[in-house]
Order: sequence, then C-alpha cells, then structure tokens
Amino acid sequence: MNINSCLKKIILNKKKIFTLLLIILSTNLSCNFEKKDIPREILYWSSNNNEEISFARFITNEWNKRNLELKVHFQPVPEGQSSEEIILAAVVGKTTPDVYSNMWQGDVETYAQAGVLVALDTLNGFIQFLNERCDSWTVKEVTSKDGHIYQIPWKINPIMMIYNKKILKELGLTSPPQTYSEFLEAAKRFKKDNNNDGYTDQWIGYTEVHTTWWQRLFDFYPLYLAASNGASLIQNDKAVFNNVHALQVFEFLRELYKKEYFPKERISARQDPFLSSTIATRFTGPWEISHAEKFKPTDFEYSFQTMPVPNEHSGPIFTYGDPKNIIVFKSSVDPNKILKFLKYFLSEENDLKLIEMTNQLPRRKNIDKNPVFANYFTKNPLMLRFAHQANYVKGTDVSVILKEVFDIISQEYEACVIYGVKTPKEALKDAERAVNLLFIK
Amino acid sequence: MKRKTFIPYLLVSPYVVHFIVFVAFPVIFSIFLTFHDWNIIAPMRYVGLSNYIRLFNDTIFIKSLLNTLIFLAIHIPLQIISALVIAEILNQNIKLRGFFRATFFMPVIVSGVVVTILWQQLYGFETGLLNRVFIQLGFGKVGWLTDPSIAMPSIALMATWKNVGLYIVLFLVGLQTVPAHYYEAADLEGANHFQKFIKITLPLINPTIFMVVILSTIGGFSLFIEPYVMTGGGPLNSTISAMLYIYKQGFFYYHMGYAATLGFFFALLILTVIMIQKRYVEKDR
Repeated sequence: MNINSCLKKIILNKKKIFTLLLIILSTNLSCNFEKKDIPREILYWSSNNNEEISFARFITNEWNKRNLELKVHFQPVPEGQSSEEIILAAVVGKTTPDVYSNMWQGDVETYAQAGVLVALDTLNGFIQFLNERCDSWTVKEVTSKDGHIYQIPWKINPIMMIYNKKILKELGLTSPPQTYSEFLEAAKRFKKDNNNDGYTDQWIGYTEVHTTWWQRLFDFYPLYLAASNGASLIQNDKAVFNNVHALQVFEFLRELYKKEYFPKERISARQDPFLSSTIATRFTGPWEISHAEKFKPTDFEYSFQTMPVPNEHSGPIFTYGDPKNIIVFKSSVDPNKILKFLKYFLSEENDLKLIEMTNQLPRRKNIDKNPVFANYFTKNPLMLRFAHQANYVKGTDVSVILKEVFDIISQEYEACVIYGVKTPKEALKDAERAVNLLFIK
Repeated sequence: MKRKTFIPYLLVSPYVVHFIVFVAFPVIFSIFLTFHDWNIIAPMRYVGLSNYIRLFNDTIFIKSLLNTLIFLAIHIPLQIISALVIAEILNQNIKLRGFFRATFFMPVIVSGVVVTILWQQLYGFETGLLNRVFIQLGFGKVGWLTDPSIAMPSIALMATWKNVGLYIVLFLVGLQTVPAHYYEAADLEGANHFQKFIKITLPLINPTIFMVVILSTIGGFSLFIEPYVMTGGGPLNSTISAMLYIYKQGFFYYHMGYAATLGFFFALLILTVIMIQKRYVEKDR
C-alpha cells in the first residue's frame, strides 16, 4: 500500500476518526468533572536540600498520622536552576502547590501584586497567631504595600562574621575586631606576601567580587544594616540609601580593597580560604558551622562575631537575616484548612525539630530565651550566637523591583569598592538616581 | 478533484505548523511584546514606545553593543588569520597531518561550557597556569578576567581557540579547490611561497573567506556562554555582550517587553551588518 492510498483511506474514514475524537474528548471531560468532586490533599513543596527534605517528610508524616480528614502530600520543589525559577514556572503554568515553604522574602511582593497568593491576614485567627510568633518589627516587615500579609516568617540564617581564633590571637588581639578601625588594623597586621613574589598571599577577609545582585546580600547589605541600625534601602517607592551609613560602608570596603586587605581575584574556587587560613574572617551564616566541623584541620578554632560597624556606632548591631517564608497559593482549595496545618507546622515543637534537623533558626521572637530551645543551644553554643543575633535581624524591603535595586547597587559597588573608579559619594548618588528612575517607569 | 488538492496541503502541513508555532508566532509575539510591559506572572500593560525610548537611553545596552563590536574586531581577524595559516600548513604534505587536523577540530565538538570552565582555570589570577608560566618567565601576573581592559580580549582569544577548528576545515576545503596548475605556472615564473599565497591562493579562496566572515560575525554577535560563565559581564561591564544583557533583562528581571525590544533591535542590527558585508563582497567580485 503506497502513501497516497493510505492518505485517501484516512480521508474516507474521517467521519469515524471524528467520532472517535469526540468520544475521547467527552470521556476526558467527564473524568475531569469527576476529579473535581474528590476532596484532594494539600500539596506542600519544600526546599530540595537534604536536611529540609527530611524535616518536611517528618512534619507531613506526623500531621498525616493525626489528621486523617486532611492529608498533606509533601514533595521537594522540582529540580531547576533555582527554586525561584521553578516557582515562577509553576505560577505561569498554573501548577502551583498549595503551600511553599522556602520563599525568599524579597520575592513575595511580586507574586502578591500578581494576585497569585492568599492574603493570610484575611484568614480567621492568623493575625493573633502571627503576633504570638513574631515581634511587631517582623510583622511590619512582612506586610505588603496593600496592607495585607501574604507570608509567614519561617526561618532565618543571620549573616555574621566568622573569625579564626588562633590567627587573631597571633595578631595580638584579645577580642575580634568590632569597629572599622579595629578591623582595618587587624587587616594591616595580617596581610602578608608569604613567598616574596610581590603579591599578597593572605588577607583579613574575602567577599565575592561578582556583580550578581544577590552577592550584595552577604557583604554590603548586612554591613549597611549594622551601620544604620536596620535602616531601609527603599521606602515609599524611593531610594533612601544615599545616606551617611551607606557612605561609611562603601568607604570601609573601598579601603579594604584599595589596601589589598581583601583580594580582588576570586579565591572561592580553590581550597576553602578560611579553613586553610588564607583569610582570617568571612561574612557568613550558620551553615558555615556544619561545613567547618566537617572539613576543619585539627586544632582549628573559630567563632562568630557581629558585623563590623563604624567607630562611633551605638546601639544593637543588626544584620541581614536571609529570611525564607511560607506562602499559600490562591490555587489552594481551602486556605482556612491550610492555616490549621501551618499552625501545626510552625508550632514550638516543630520549630525545635527544624533547628535540630537543619541547623537553621526559626524566626520567632526571643528564641534565645525560650526554654524549649535551651537544651539545643547548650549543646550547640555557636548557634546560640546566631540566636542572640536573631533579635536584631532584618529581611528585605517590600518592593517588586528589589532585585534591580540590588543589581544597581552591585554595579556601583563594583565601580567604587572593587575598582575605585568612582568615589563612594558619586557611586551612591548614581545608584540613587538609577533606582529612582526605575520607580518612575 | 477536491481530494487531490487537499493532499499537497496535508503533506506540507507539518512544516507549516512548525513554522507557525516556532517561527512566525514567536516573531509576531515578540514584536507585540515590544509595546508592552510584562513580567510573565502579572497581566501585560501597554506602554507604547517607551521600551524603544528606554533602549536608546540605556547606557549598559549601548556598552554591551560596543563590547560585542570590540569582541568582533578582535575575534574575526584573529580567527581568519589563525585558521588560514593553520589550514595552509595542514594542506602541505606534513607528517601526522590527520592527527593534527583531528586535534585542531577537537575543541569544536567539546561543550562551550566545558571549554569556558577550563579556560577560567587557565586564566585564574592566583592559581591559573598562564600566570604561573608568566611568573616563571619573569613577568608579572595578569588579571586576565579581572582587568577591565584585558577581560574582553581574553574571552576573544578563548572563543578563537574554541572555534578555529571549524574554520580550518572550511579553509582546507577552499584550498583544495585551487587548481594545482596555477601553482605550477607560478613555480615556472619563479614565484616564492609567499607570492603564490598572496597572488593565487587568497583571491581564489575569497568566497570561503567571505563565508568565514559571515559565520564568525553571526557567531560573534551571539556571544553569550563565555561571558555568562566566566565573568558574568564584569568587570565594570567590560564583557557584557548584547545577548547576555538581553538574557539578563528577560530572565533575571523578567522585563519581557524590554528584552523583546532589545532582541528585536539587535536582530535588525545583525541583519544590517550582514547585508553590508554581503554588498561589499559582491561589489568586490
């Protein structure tokens, strides 16, 4: 049989094919109608790192044992370049879960304004629950521009300064450097050309020189929050970071690069520079503890300190908390029932499980004084430092263009701090102008 | 009769469907997008010509275009000269000719990301092989990827290494089409190797050179992987290419309307350059 006769046969039978298609379509539609009547489980997506997967599995298993009428199905966020990308794809493809627990706070406003999130403050008992968990500062921080709250603060990883105890002792320091002057003095003492080739081989610290916007969350931003007692970068759709605090931070960091106290080259690709004593300090989070414990050489001692601050600084020292929060998508069937699950999820006992299983801090007020966590902190004294710091952390400002703001700051940071082609005043002024232009658009 | 006219349409329909879905629709949709502000998740907002106005005032985009032109200015001559010289050598009756031909072609079949990561290690300031050699030779260390004035030439050098094998093959084909009796006649006239190359080889492989220029230009305009992996566009935006900037606008910030405008403008620019090149070469013939 040749192709032509085959095609002719198909055309002659087109009525039959049409009837068959109609049957398939109607069967599919009826199946879909049937599916709607079945009460479905809550679909919960967690982060896809191993510790959080174990934690999420534990939580859902425990919940499902106790709540037969409302089952929760857990799965890690599907693999992708980043979880943010996957969430975006899910929103566009209308395949969002009911609950997602690893949302970067800075992204929430975009989704809230797109109308895909449940305003949690409209649910019965939510505000009372949130006020019991968080202080008013945190509640204000997570309140959206429209006055609603679309996220529940879940966990934080405050950025602090890790330091090598032995090196600082050898430098003659009795305590880790806290002010800019102390830090610069320690840097001067530690900088060294070990092999006399004319190039520095050891530096006081290191931050990524890459201009990717989020790198500034781990150097400029925590230093800015520390210097300014937690001030905003943007407020009421206007840049407010061109101030004395940002100026001091830029000047401080610029000095570190200019005097080669920080390397301009990327040294993160080789052996861990902190554990190999190539650098004496680093701005980092509590995740560093498990890494250091696993890979540190024998006799290596380290601890954590609040971020360096200007000499005249007074008051508590803030930092960036790297907050990850919980959101509920509008595609969920019954947000009120989901809130019941979330209250269980965020209970004190489960927050204790979180910190025990993942070494990440739950974002709840006075965690360092809460007796529920006391035993954990006794066993993990370094985590207690982060718990103290947790009283003075800030997340991000509420804005849909937050990434662009950080990108602009990062561009100016590179020009001023790393390459010194702009003065701190010029860089901040240019960044302010560029950010305000974004708001006008 | 009707059935007979239906069959040809049915036969071409797979291509037509493919063309509509993957070519016509994306092009029309991207032109439509240029007049809108859209972040994928929120509804589109009509913004008239503001994306085009923004484009002409966008200093980073202008810088990215200049960077791309700098890359082309280094990469194309380097590519043509090195490919032609190597092809000329490999066209001679030398030992291990097959081995060398295969070796020069090897980087072409290796993934661009792998090559980029490999060169990133070579270019490393502290631990990179190139700087170690430089130190041994008594020179200073070079900031291959961290010095704003050197970073783009470093990328161009790497891109040439990656692609030269392909152009060697093209030139080898061109060289083998030159009739041998031209060289024999030149030998009788007492021409040396250089004179034969300039007077015979170059004019006769002109179509191949033109093809290599066109292919290198198109390839150069689409510069993306190298700066994306190696430098992220830095330092000081000295390696941000137009393609990388369009990607950043589209998939970092989800400015789909603006990214489409940049893409549309950039496509027109490439088309114009290729047309000019084509006209110039045709006139030359």
